[in-house]
Amino acid sequence: MFSVAKADRRRRPAVGIGYRSAIAEWTRANLKCFDLLEVTIDHCIYGSATQCAEIFDLVGRIPINAHGIGLSIGTDVPLDLAYLDQVAAIVEQLHAPTYSEHLAFTRVPGRDLANLLPLPKTIAAAESIITKVRTVQSRIGVPFLLENISYAFEWPDSNLSDADFLNLICRESGAGLLLDVENLYLNSQNHDFDAYEFLDKLSPDLVREVHMAGGIAISDAGLQRSFLADTHSHPVPNETLDLLQYALSLYAPQTIILERDDRLDATGEILADVERIRSCVDQRSKYAKDKGLVRSSSSSARIPD
Amino acid sequence: MQKTKGLLDRQVRLLEYLTSSEAIYGDSCGSLRDPILQGIDRAFLHIEARFSHEKRMDKIAAVFPKTLALLGEDRDAVVREFVHACPPVDIGRLENARQFSDFLISRWRARRPALPYLPDVTACELACAQVRMDADSSPAVAKTPTHTGPSEIRRKSGITLLRTRFDIRPIFEDKRGEISPIERLVPLAISFRAGELGIFELAPEVFDLLAALGSWTAVDELPDAEGLIADLGEAGLLEERR
Repeated sequence: MFSVAKADRRRRPAVGIGYRSAIAEWTRANLKCFDLLEVTIDHCIYGSATQCAEIFDLVGRIPINAHGIGLSIGTDVPLDLAYLDQVAAIVEQLHAPTYSEHLAFTRVPGRDLANLLPLPKTIAAAESIITKVRTVQSRIGVPFLLENISYAFEWPDSNLSDADFLNLICRESGAGLLLDVENLYLNSQNHDFDAYEFLDKLSPDLVREVHMAGGIAISDAGLQRSFLADTHSHPVPNETLDLLQYALSLYAPQTIILERDDRLDATGEILADVERIRSCVDQRSKYAKDKGLVRSSSSSARIPD
Repeated sequence: MQKTKGLLDRQVRLLEYLTSSEAIYGDSCGSLRDPILQGIDRAFLHIEARFSHEKRMDKIAAVFPKTLALLGEDRDAVVREFVHACPPVDIGRLENARQFSDFLISRWRARRPALPYLPDVTACELACAQVRMDADSSPAVAKTPTHTGPSEIRRKSGITLLRTRFDIRPIFEDKRGEISPIERLVPLAISFRAGELGIFELAPEVFDLLAALGSWTAVDELPDAEGLIADLGEAGLLEERR
Protein backbone atom coordinates (compact mmCIF):
# COMPACT_ATOMS: atom_id res chain seq x y z
CA MET A 1 0.00 0.00 0.00
CA PHE A 2 1.26 3.46 -0.89
CA SER A 3 1.46 6.09 1.77
CA VAL A 4 1.71 9.85 1.72
CA ALA A 5 4.42 9.32 4.31
CA LYS A 6 6.61 8.95 1.24
CA ALA A 7 6.27 12.72 0.85
CA ASP A 8 7.25 13.28 4.48
CA ARG A 9 10.44 11.31 4.10
CA ARG A 10 11.46 13.42 1.15
CA ARG A 11 10.37 16.52 3.08
CA ARG A 12 8.57 17.74 0.03
CA PRO A 13 4.85 17.74 -0.63
CA ALA A 14 3.32 15.12 -2.89
CA VAL A 15 1.76 16.69 -6.00
CA GLY A 16 -1.35 15.40 -7.73
CA ILE A 17 -4.73 16.25 -9.18
CA GLY A 18 -8.37 16.05 -8.22
CA TYR A 19 -9.80 12.88 -9.73
CA ARG A 20 -12.65 13.58 -12.19
CA SER A 21 -14.73 10.85 -13.86
CA ALA A 22 -14.81 12.75 -17.15
CA ILE A 23 -11.07 12.11 -17.55
CA ALA A 24 -10.90 8.84 -15.65
CA GLU A 25 -9.31 6.93 -18.51
CA TRP A 26 -6.73 9.62 -19.14
CA THR A 27 -5.96 9.80 -15.41
CA ARG A 28 -5.41 6.05 -15.18
CA ALA A 29 -3.14 6.18 -18.22
CA ASN A 30 -1.10 8.97 -16.65
CA LEU A 31 -0.93 7.84 -13.03
CA LYS A 32 2.86 7.96 -13.14
CA CYS A 33 2.66 11.74 -13.57
CA PHE A 34 1.12 12.18 -10.13
CA ASP A 35 2.22 11.38 -6.56
CA LEU A 36 -1.40 11.14 -5.42
CA LEU A 37 -5.01 11.81 -6.39
CA GLU A 38 -7.75 13.57 -4.47
CA VAL A 39 -11.18 11.95 -4.60
CA THR A 40 -14.37 13.90 -3.98
CA ILE A 41 -16.23 11.78 -1.46
CA ASP A 42 -19.62 12.95 -2.67
CA HIS A 43 -18.88 11.41 -6.07
CA CYS A 44 -18.57 8.08 -4.26
CA ILE A 45 -21.82 8.65 -2.35
CA TYR A 46 -23.99 10.01 -5.18
CA GLY A 47 -22.08 8.88 -8.27
CA SER A 48 -23.01 5.96 -10.48
CA ALA A 49 -21.89 2.41 -9.82
CA THR A 50 -19.40 2.68 -12.68
CA GLN A 51 -17.89 5.90 -11.34
CA CYS A 52 -17.54 4.42 -7.86
CA ALA A 53 -15.99 1.22 -9.16
CA GLU A 54 -13.43 3.24 -11.14
CA ILE A 55 -12.53 5.24 -8.05
CA PHE A 56 -12.17 2.26 -5.71
CA ASP A 57 -10.10 0.48 -8.33
CA LEU A 58 -7.42 3.13 -7.74
CA VAL A 59 -7.02 2.21 -4.08
CA GLY A 60 -3.60 0.68 -3.56
CA ARG A 61 -2.31 1.92 -6.91
CA ILE A 62 -1.75 5.52 -5.80
CA PRO A 63 -2.24 7.42 -2.52
CA ILE A 64 -5.68 9.05 -2.28
CA ASN A 65 -6.82 12.11 -0.35
CA ALA A 66 -10.50 12.43 0.58
CA HIS A 67 -12.26 15.74 -0.01
CA GLY A 68 -15.90 16.60 0.58
CA ILE A 69 -18.31 19.13 -0.89
CA GLY A 70 -21.62 18.13 0.69
CA LEU A 71 -21.27 18.67 4.43
CA SER A 72 -22.33 22.33 4.53
CA ILE A 73 -20.72 22.64 7.94
CA GLY A 74 -21.65 26.30 8.10
CA THR A 75 -25.42 25.84 7.89
CA ASP A 76 -26.65 26.70 11.35
CA VAL A 77 -28.45 23.41 11.93
CA PRO A 78 -27.10 20.16 13.40
CA LEU A 79 -24.81 18.18 11.11
CA ASP A 80 -26.26 15.37 9.01
CA LEU A 81 -24.85 12.42 10.94
CA ALA A 82 -26.03 9.85 8.41
CA TYR A 83 -24.05 11.68 5.74
CA LEU A 84 -21.01 11.82 8.04
CA ASP A 85 -21.22 8.08 8.61
CA GLN A 86 -21.22 7.52 4.85
CA VAL A 87 -18.17 9.79 4.62
CA ALA A 88 -16.44 7.80 7.36
CA ALA A 89 -17.02 4.53 5.53
CA ILE A 90 -15.67 5.89 2.23
CA VAL A 91 -12.64 7.52 3.85
CA GLU A 92 -11.83 4.10 5.28
CA GLN A 93 -12.36 2.34 1.93
CA LEU A 94 -10.08 4.85 0.21
CA HIS A 95 -7.41 4.48 2.93
CA ALA A 96 -7.31 8.28 2.91
CA PRO A 97 -4.99 9.86 5.50
CA THR A 98 -7.21 12.94 5.97
CA TYR A 99 -10.72 14.21 5.23
CA SER A 100 -11.20 17.82 4.16
CA GLU A 101 -14.25 20.06 3.71
CA HIS A 102 -15.00 23.69 2.99
CA LEU A 103 -15.51 26.28 5.69
CA ALA A 104 -18.78 27.35 4.13
CA PHE A 105 -22.48 26.66 3.81
CA THR A 106 -24.31 25.62 0.66
CA ARG A 107 -27.87 25.02 1.79
CA VAL A 108 -30.59 25.66 4.34
CA PRO A 109 -33.59 23.44 5.00
CA GLY A 110 -35.64 23.39 1.79
CA ARG A 111 -33.16 25.20 -0.42
CA ASP A 112 -29.83 24.05 -1.86
CA LEU A 113 -27.72 26.55 -3.77
CA ALA A 114 -25.02 23.96 -4.56
CA ASN A 115 -22.51 26.77 -4.24
CA LEU A 116 -20.13 27.57 -1.40
CA LEU A 117 -21.15 30.61 0.62
CA PRO A 118 -19.14 32.39 3.31
CA LEU A 119 -19.97 32.64 6.98
CA PRO A 120 -19.91 35.84 8.99
CA LYS A 121 -16.38 35.98 10.37
CA THR A 122 -17.40 36.42 13.99
CA ILE A 123 -16.61 34.73 17.29
CA ALA A 124 -20.18 33.36 17.44
CA ALA A 125 -19.92 31.74 14.01
CA ALA A 126 -16.50 30.34 14.92
CA GLU A 127 -17.90 28.81 18.12
CA SER A 128 -20.63 27.08 16.18
CA ILE A 129 -18.13 25.66 13.68
CA ILE A 130 -15.75 24.50 16.41
CA THR A 131 -18.54 22.46 17.99
CA LYS A 132 -19.33 20.88 14.64
CA VAL A 133 -15.69 20.14 13.85
CA ARG A 134 -15.56 18.19 17.11
CA THR A 135 -18.57 16.18 15.98
CA VAL A 136 -16.87 15.44 12.66
CA GLN A 137 -13.69 14.41 14.45
CA SER A 138 -15.65 12.07 16.71
CA ARG A 139 -17.09 10.19 13.73
CA ILE A 140 -14.28 10.20 11.17
CA GLY A 141 -11.18 8.19 11.87
CA VAL A 142 -8.64 10.51 10.25
CA PRO A 143 -7.59 14.14 10.80
CA PHE A 144 -10.15 16.70 9.60
CA LEU A 145 -9.10 19.73 7.55
CA LEU A 146 -11.06 22.86 6.69
CA GLU A 147 -10.58 24.66 3.39
CA ASN A 148 -10.73 28.42 2.87
CA ILE A 149 -13.24 29.26 0.13
CA SER A 150 -13.40 32.03 -2.43
CA TYR A 151 -16.32 34.34 -1.76
CA ALA A 152 -18.10 37.04 -3.68
CA PHE A 153 -19.59 38.95 -0.76
CA GLU A 154 -18.85 39.67 2.89
CA TRP A 155 -21.33 39.62 5.76
CA PRO A 156 -21.47 43.16 7.18
CA ASP A 157 -20.97 41.96 10.76
CA SER A 158 -17.72 40.12 10.00
CA ASN A 159 -15.19 41.50 12.44
CA LEU A 160 -12.34 38.98 12.14
CA SER A 161 -9.89 38.81 9.27
CA ASP A 162 -9.86 35.68 7.10
CA ALA A 163 -6.66 34.52 8.79
CA ASP A 164 -7.90 35.23 12.32
CA PHE A 165 -11.16 33.36 11.65
CA LEU A 166 -9.32 30.29 10.35
CA ASN A 167 -6.68 30.42 13.09
CA LEU A 168 -9.33 30.60 15.77
CA ILE A 169 -11.39 27.69 14.48
CA CYS A 170 -8.44 25.46 13.75
CA ARG A 171 -6.64 26.20 17.00
CA GLU A 172 -9.68 25.59 19.19
CA SER A 173 -10.89 22.50 17.33
CA GLY A 174 -7.62 20.92 16.31
CA ALA A 175 -8.63 20.91 12.65
CA GLY A 176 -5.93 21.42 10.06
CA LEU A 177 -6.10 23.79 7.11
CA LEU A 178 -6.42 22.86 3.49
CA LEU A 179 -5.05 26.09 2.06
CA ASP A 180 -6.60 26.87 -1.32
CA VAL A 181 -3.99 29.23 -2.69
CA GLU A 182 -6.09 30.20 -5.71
CA ASN A 183 -9.01 31.10 -3.43
CA LEU A 184 -6.65 33.21 -1.35
CA TYR A 185 -5.39 34.98 -4.48
CA LEU A 186 -8.93 35.61 -5.82
CA ASN A 187 -10.19 36.91 -2.47
CA SER A 188 -7.21 39.20 -2.07
CA GLN A 189 -7.87 40.68 -5.51
CA ASN A 190 -11.64 40.86 -5.24
CA HIS A 191 -11.67 42.22 -1.69
CA ASP A 192 -8.47 44.24 -1.59
CA PHE A 193 -6.33 42.60 1.04
CA ASP A 194 -2.73 41.46 1.10
CA ALA A 195 -2.52 37.72 0.45
CA TYR A 196 1.08 37.56 1.70
CA GLU A 197 0.04 39.17 4.97
CA PHE A 198 -2.68 36.50 5.25
CA LEU A 199 -0.04 33.80 4.90
CA ASP A 200 2.17 35.51 7.48
CA LYS A 201 -0.70 35.51 9.96
CA LEU A 202 -1.61 31.83 9.71
CA SER A 203 -0.66 29.80 12.76
CA PRO A 204 2.44 27.61 12.49
CA ASP A 205 1.80 24.02 11.38
CA LEU A 206 -1.76 24.82 10.33
CA VAL A 207 -1.37 24.14 6.60
CA ARG A 208 -1.55 20.39 6.00
CA GLU A 209 -2.68 20.34 2.37
CA VAL A 210 -2.87 22.79 -0.52
CA HIS A 211 -5.25 23.31 -3.45
CA MET A 212 -4.24 25.06 -6.67
CA ALA A 213 -6.45 26.04 -9.62
CA GLY A 214 -7.02 28.65 -12.30
CA GLY A 215 -10.14 30.68 -12.96
CA ILE A 216 -11.39 33.51 -15.14
CA ALA A 217 -12.14 37.22 -14.85
CA ILE A 218 -15.76 38.13 -15.43
CA SER A 219 -17.36 41.47 -16.09
CA ASP A 220 -20.73 42.63 -14.87
CA ALA A 221 -22.53 45.90 -15.34
CA GLY A 222 -22.91 46.31 -11.58
CA LEU A 223 -19.19 45.91 -10.87
CA GLN A 224 -16.60 48.63 -11.10
CA ARG A 225 -13.93 46.16 -12.18
CA SER A 226 -13.63 42.55 -13.29
CA PHE A 227 -14.41 39.87 -10.73
CA LEU A 228 -12.03 36.92 -10.51
CA ALA A 229 -14.02 33.70 -10.34
CA ASP A 230 -12.88 30.32 -9.05
CA THR A 231 -13.94 28.28 -12.07
CA HIS A 232 -11.21 25.60 -12.01
CA SER A 233 -11.10 25.96 -15.77
CA HIS A 234 -7.78 27.47 -16.79
CA PRO A 235 -4.06 27.25 -16.04
CA VAL A 236 -2.93 28.37 -12.61
CA PRO A 237 -2.07 32.10 -12.78
CA ASN A 238 1.53 33.09 -12.11
CA GLU A 239 0.39 35.20 -9.16
CA THR A 240 -1.05 32.07 -7.52
CA LEU A 241 2.18 30.17 -8.13
CA ASP A 242 4.11 33.03 -6.52
CA LEU A 243 1.83 32.77 -3.50
CA LEU A 244 2.36 29.01 -3.39
CA GLN A 245 6.09 29.51 -3.39
CA TYR A 246 5.79 31.92 -0.51
CA ALA A 247 3.45 29.57 1.37
CA LEU A 248 5.91 26.71 0.89
CA SER A 249 8.64 28.82 2.42
CA LEU A 250 6.52 29.15 5.56
CA TYR A 251 4.64 25.87 5.80
CA ALA A 252 5.19 22.22 5.05
CA PRO A 253 1.98 20.82 3.56
CA GLN A 254 1.98 17.10 2.87
CA THR A 255 0.16 17.37 -0.42
CA ILE A 256 -0.62 19.82 -3.22
CA ILE A 257 -3.63 19.11 -5.43
CA LEU A 258 -4.42 20.78 -8.73
CA GLU A 259 -8.19 21.15 -9.14
CA ARG A 260 -9.69 21.20 -12.61
CA ASP A 261 -13.44 20.97 -13.31
CA ASP A 262 -13.88 22.58 -16.69
CA ARG A 263 -12.13 22.39 -20.07
CA LEU A 264 -11.00 18.96 -18.96
CA ASP A 265 -10.08 18.02 -22.51
CA ALA A 266 -7.10 20.40 -22.21
CA THR A 267 -5.11 17.66 -20.48
CA GLY A 268 -1.84 19.20 -21.66
CA GLU A 269 -2.60 22.22 -19.48
CA ILE A 270 -3.19 19.93 -16.49
CA LEU A 271 0.17 18.19 -16.91
CA ALA A 272 1.91 21.53 -17.49
CA ASP A 273 0.37 22.95 -14.30
CA VAL A 274 1.50 19.91 -12.31
CA GLU A 275 5.02 20.53 -13.56
CA ARG A 276 4.82 24.25 -12.72
CA ILE A 277 3.71 23.31 -9.19
CA ARG A 278 6.58 20.82 -8.91
CA SER A 279 9.01 23.56 -9.94
CA CYS A 280 7.69 25.71 -7.11
CA VAL A 281 8.20 22.82 -4.70
CA ASP A 282 11.76 22.37 -5.93
CA GLN A 283 12.55 26.04 -5.53
CA ARG A 284 10.93 26.53 -2.12
CA SER A 285 14.05 26.15 0.00
CA LYS A 286 16.08 28.42 -2.21
CA TYR A 287 13.29 31.00 -2.12
CA ALA A 288 13.07 31.02 1.67
CA LYS A 289 16.82 31.31 2.02
CA ASP A 290 17.15 34.10 -0.54
CA LYS A 291 14.35 36.13 1.01
CA GLY A 292 15.45 35.48 4.58
CA LEU A 293 11.85 34.62 5.42
CA VAL A 294 10.79 34.18 9.00
CA ARG A 295 7.27 33.08 9.93
CA SER A 296 5.50 35.71 11.95
CA SER A 297 3.52 34.94 15.09
CA SER A 298 -0.04 33.66 14.85
CA SER A 299 -3.19 35.67 15.30
CA SER A 300 -4.49 36.83 18.63
CA ALA A 301 -8.22 36.15 18.21
CA ARG A 302 -9.53 33.98 21.04
CA ILE A 303 -12.88 32.73 22.18
CA PRO A 304 -13.79 34.66 25.31
CA ASP A 305 -13.97 32.61 28.50
CA MET B 1 -28.49 30.47 21.70
CA GLN B 2 -30.21 33.58 20.40
CA LYS B 3 -27.29 34.31 18.08
CA THR B 4 -27.27 30.78 16.67
CA LYS B 5 -30.96 31.00 15.79
CA GLY B 6 -30.31 34.37 14.20
CA LEU B 7 -27.62 33.00 11.91
CA LEU B 8 -29.90 30.35 10.43
CA ASP B 9 -32.58 32.95 9.83
CA ARG B 10 -30.07 35.11 7.99
CA GLN B 11 -28.83 32.14 5.97
CA VAL B 12 -32.40 31.26 4.98
CA ARG B 13 -33.14 34.85 3.92
CA LEU B 14 -29.87 35.00 2.00
CA LEU B 15 -30.65 31.84 0.04
CA GLU B 16 -34.19 33.06 -0.63
CA TYR B 17 -32.67 36.19 -2.10
CA LEU B 18 -29.89 34.43 -4.04
CA THR B 19 -32.43 32.11 -5.71
CA SER B 20 -34.80 34.97 -6.61
CA SER B 21 -35.22 36.53 -10.07
CA GLU B 22 -34.24 39.83 -8.54
CA ALA B 23 -30.80 38.53 -7.56
CA ILE B 24 -30.22 36.26 -10.57
CA TYR B 25 -31.22 38.74 -13.25
CA GLY B 26 -30.25 41.90 -11.37
CA ASP B 27 -33.84 43.10 -11.81
CA SER B 28 -33.69 46.01 -9.43
CA CYS B 29 -31.10 48.46 -8.20
CA GLY B 30 -30.56 50.41 -5.01
CA SER B 31 -30.34 48.89 -1.55
CA LEU B 32 -31.67 45.46 -0.60
CA ARG B 33 -35.24 45.39 0.71
CA ASP B 34 -34.63 42.67 3.32
CA PRO B 35 -33.14 44.44 6.37
CA ILE B 36 -31.23 41.27 7.26
CA LEU B 37 -29.23 41.55 4.03
CA GLN B 38 -28.58 45.25 4.22
CA GLY B 39 -24.91 46.08 4.19
CA ILE B 40 -24.09 43.27 1.75
CA ASP B 41 -22.95 44.48 -1.66
CA ARG B 42 -25.83 43.86 -4.09
CA ALA B 43 -23.50 43.57 -7.09
CA PHE B 44 -21.55 40.75 -5.46
CA LEU B 45 -24.78 38.97 -4.50
CA HIS B 46 -25.86 39.21 -8.12
CA ILE B 47 -22.59 37.54 -9.18
CA GLU B 48 -23.11 34.75 -6.64
CA ALA B 49 -26.74 34.27 -7.69
CA ARG B 50 -25.86 34.25 -11.39
CA PHE B 51 -23.13 31.64 -10.90
CA SER B 52 -25.36 29.34 -8.93
CA HIS B 53 -28.21 29.71 -11.40
CA GLU B 54 -25.92 29.00 -14.37
CA LYS B 55 -24.60 25.87 -12.68
CA ARG B 56 -28.16 24.68 -12.06
CA MET B 57 -29.23 25.43 -15.62
CA ASP B 58 -26.17 23.55 -16.93
CA LYS B 59 -27.47 20.45 -15.13
CA ILE B 60 -30.94 20.96 -16.59
CA ALA B 61 -29.60 21.66 -20.08
CA ALA B 62 -27.60 18.43 -19.95
CA VAL B 63 -30.88 16.51 -19.61
CA PHE B 64 -33.11 18.66 -21.83
CA PRO B 65 -30.99 19.93 -24.76
CA LYS B 66 -33.78 19.35 -27.28
CA THR B 67 -36.57 20.76 -25.11
CA LEU B 68 -34.61 23.93 -24.44
CA ALA B 69 -33.73 24.31 -28.12
CA LEU B 70 -37.36 23.77 -29.16
CA LEU B 71 -38.60 26.35 -26.66
CA GLY B 72 -36.99 28.83 -29.04
CA GLU B 73 -37.86 32.43 -28.29
CA ASP B 74 -39.90 31.38 -25.24
CA ARG B 75 -36.86 29.87 -23.56
CA ASP B 76 -35.74 32.89 -21.55
CA ALA B 77 -39.26 33.67 -20.37
CA VAL B 78 -39.87 30.03 -19.42
CA VAL B 79 -36.59 29.83 -17.47
CA ARG B 80 -37.45 33.05 -15.66
CA GLU B 81 -40.84 31.64 -14.67
CA PHE B 82 -39.12 28.44 -13.55
CA VAL B 83 -36.68 30.39 -11.38
CA HIS B 84 -39.60 32.20 -9.78
CA ALA B 85 -41.71 29.08 -9.23
CA CYS B 86 -39.10 26.46 -8.33
CA PRO B 87 -36.13 27.34 -6.13
CA PRO B 88 -33.36 24.72 -6.10
CA VAL B 89 -33.90 22.10 -3.43
CA ASP B 90 -31.31 19.51 -4.40
CA ILE B 91 -27.82 19.44 -5.85
CA GLY B 92 -28.49 16.48 -8.20
CA ARG B 93 -28.81 16.72 -11.96
CA LEU B 94 -31.81 14.42 -12.24
CA GLU B 95 -33.61 16.05 -9.32
CA ASN B 96 -33.25 19.48 -10.93
CA ALA B 97 -34.34 18.01 -14.26
CA ARG B 98 -37.46 16.50 -12.68
CA GLN B 99 -38.24 19.85 -11.10
CA PHE B 100 -37.98 21.52 -14.51
CA SER B 101 -40.10 18.85 -16.18
CA ASP B 102 -42.81 19.13 -13.49
CA PHE B 103 -42.79 22.88 -13.92
CA LEU B 104 -43.19 22.61 -17.70
CA ILE B 105 -46.02 20.10 -17.41
CA SER B 106 -47.85 22.37 -15.01
CA ARG B 107 -47.21 25.41 -17.24
CA TRP B 108 -48.47 23.60 -20.32
CA ARG B 109 -51.68 22.68 -18.52
CA ALA B 110 -52.41 26.36 -18.17
CA ARG B 111 -50.91 27.46 -21.51
CA ARG B 112 -50.48 25.18 -24.50
CA PRO B 113 -46.91 24.90 -25.72
CA ALA B 114 -46.08 26.58 -29.02
CA LEU B 115 -45.12 23.17 -30.41
CA PRO B 116 -47.75 20.55 -29.56
CA TYR B 117 -45.18 17.73 -29.46
CA LEU B 118 -42.90 19.49 -26.97
CA PRO B 119 -44.36 17.68 -23.90
CA ASP B 120 -43.51 14.36 -25.58
CA VAL B 121 -39.94 15.50 -26.25
CA THR B 122 -39.53 16.61 -22.63
CA ALA B 123 -40.94 13.34 -21.30
CA CYS B 124 -38.67 11.35 -23.58
CA GLU B 125 -35.54 13.32 -22.60
CA LEU B 126 -36.31 12.82 -18.90
CA ALA B 127 -36.90 9.10 -19.50
CA CYS B 128 -33.57 8.87 -21.36
CA ALA B 129 -31.76 10.52 -18.44
CA GLN B 130 -33.45 8.18 -15.95
CA VAL B 131 -32.61 5.09 -18.02
CA ARG B 132 -28.98 6.16 -18.33
CA MET B 133 -28.75 6.66 -14.59
CA ASP B 134 -30.44 3.34 -13.82
CA ALA B 135 -28.11 1.52 -16.21
CA ASP B 136 -25.11 3.14 -14.59
CA SER B 137 -26.33 2.25 -11.11
CA SER B 138 -26.85 -1.43 -11.85
CA PRO B 139 -23.98 -3.91 -11.72
CA ALA B 140 -22.11 -4.42 -15.00
CA VAL B 141 -22.98 -8.13 -15.00
CA ALA B 142 -26.44 -8.69 -13.59
CA LYS B 143 -26.69 -11.67 -11.28
CA THR B 144 -29.31 -14.20 -12.28
CA PRO B 145 -31.86 -13.98 -9.49
CA THR B 146 -32.17 -17.20 -7.53
CA HIS B 147 -35.67 -18.50 -7.36
CA THR B 148 -37.50 -21.66 -6.45
CA GLY B 149 -40.91 -22.37 -7.85
CA PRO B 150 -42.52 -21.86 -11.24
CA SER B 151 -40.72 -19.90 -13.95
CA GLU B 152 -41.30 -16.13 -13.67
CA ILE B 153 -40.68 -13.14 -15.91
CA ARG B 154 -40.61 -9.37 -15.58
CA ARG B 155 -39.72 -6.32 -17.66
CA LYS B 156 -35.96 -5.98 -17.68
CA SER B 157 -34.77 -3.32 -15.25
CA GLY B 158 -33.51 -0.24 -17.02
CA ILE B 159 -36.29 -0.28 -19.62
CA THR B 160 -38.66 2.67 -19.45
CA LEU B 161 -42.02 2.70 -21.22
CA LEU B 162 -43.49 5.90 -22.57
CA ARG B 163 -46.61 6.56 -24.64
CA THR B 164 -46.34 9.70 -26.74
CA ARG B 165 -48.97 11.59 -28.74
CA PHE B 166 -46.52 12.31 -31.55
CA ASP B 167 -43.87 10.22 -33.22
CA ILE B 168 -40.94 12.20 -31.88
CA ARG B 169 -38.24 9.65 -32.70
CA PRO B 170 -36.86 11.64 -35.67
CA ILE B 171 -36.01 14.46 -33.23
CA PHE B 172 -33.82 12.03 -31.30
CA GLU B 173 -32.17 10.65 -34.41
CA ASP B 174 -30.25 13.87 -35.00
CA LYS B 175 -31.75 14.34 -38.43
CA ARG B 176 -30.89 17.68 -39.95
CA GLY B 177 -33.48 20.18 -41.09
CA GLU B 178 -36.89 20.96 -39.76
CA ILE B 179 -38.72 18.00 -38.31
CA SER B 180 -42.49 17.94 -37.95
CA PRO B 181 -43.40 14.89 -35.89
CA ILE B 182 -46.51 13.09 -37.06
CA GLU B 183 -49.41 13.06 -34.63
CA ARG B 184 -50.23 9.48 -33.64
CA LEU B 185 -50.12 7.50 -30.42
CA VAL B 186 -46.70 5.85 -30.20
CA PRO B 187 -45.85 3.25 -27.52
CA LEU B 188 -42.11 3.53 -26.87
CA ALA B 189 -39.51 1.56 -24.97
CA ILE B 190 -36.35 3.38 -23.93
CA SER B 191 -33.26 1.42 -23.03
CA PHE B 192 -29.58 2.01 -22.42
CA ARG B 193 -27.42 -0.98 -23.17
CA ALA B 194 -23.72 -1.29 -23.88
CA GLY B 195 -23.38 2.48 -23.78
CA GLU B 196 -26.07 2.98 -26.42
CA LEU B 197 -29.39 4.71 -25.87
CA GLY B 198 -32.25 3.07 -27.74
CA ILE B 199 -35.75 4.43 -28.38
CA PHE B 200 -37.97 1.76 -29.93
CA GLU B 201 -41.55 1.74 -31.03
CA LEU B 202 -43.48 -1.22 -29.65
CA ALA B 203 -46.67 -2.85 -30.85
CA PRO B 204 -49.52 -1.77 -28.53
CA GLU B 205 -50.01 -5.30 -27.18
CA VAL B 206 -46.29 -5.63 -26.42
CA PHE B 207 -46.32 -2.28 -24.66
CA ASP B 208 -49.31 -3.38 -22.56
CA LEU B 209 -47.67 -6.69 -21.71
CA LEU B 210 -44.39 -5.03 -20.69
CA ALA B 211 -46.30 -2.43 -18.68
CA ALA B 212 -48.05 -5.26 -16.81
CA LEU B 213 -44.74 -7.02 -16.14
CA GLY B 214 -43.24 -4.46 -13.76
CA SER B 215 -42.85 -7.17 -11.12
CA TRP B 216 -42.14 -10.92 -11.25
CA THR B 217 -45.05 -12.78 -12.79
CA ALA B 218 -45.47 -16.54 -13.17
CA VAL B 219 -45.22 -17.59 -16.81
CA ASP B 220 -48.16 -19.91 -16.14
CA GLU B 221 -50.35 -16.84 -15.76
CA LEU B 222 -49.71 -15.92 -19.42
CA PRO B 223 -50.68 -19.10 -21.25
CA ASP B 224 -51.15 -17.50 -24.69
CA ALA B 225 -48.00 -15.41 -24.68
CA GLU B 226 -45.26 -18.03 -24.95
CA GLY B 227 -44.04 -16.94 -28.38
CA LEU B 228 -44.18 -13.26 -27.52
CA ILE B 229 -42.31 -13.85 -24.25
CA ALA B 230 -39.58 -15.72 -26.12
CA ASP B 231 -39.27 -12.88 -28.66
CA LEU B 232 -39.14 -10.21 -25.95
CA GLY B 233 -36.54 -12.16 -24.03
CA GLU B 234 -34.43 -12.39 -27.15
CA ALA B 235 -34.80 -8.62 -27.71
CA GLY B 236 -33.52 -8.01 -24.19
CA LEU B 237 -36.78 -6.54 -22.92
CA LEU B 238 -37.65 -9.32 -20.48
CA GLU B 239 -35.72 -11.24 -17.86
CA GLU B 240 -36.66 -14.67 -16.60
CA ARG B 241 -35.94 -16.64 -13.46
CA ARG B 242 -36.59 -20.34 -13.16
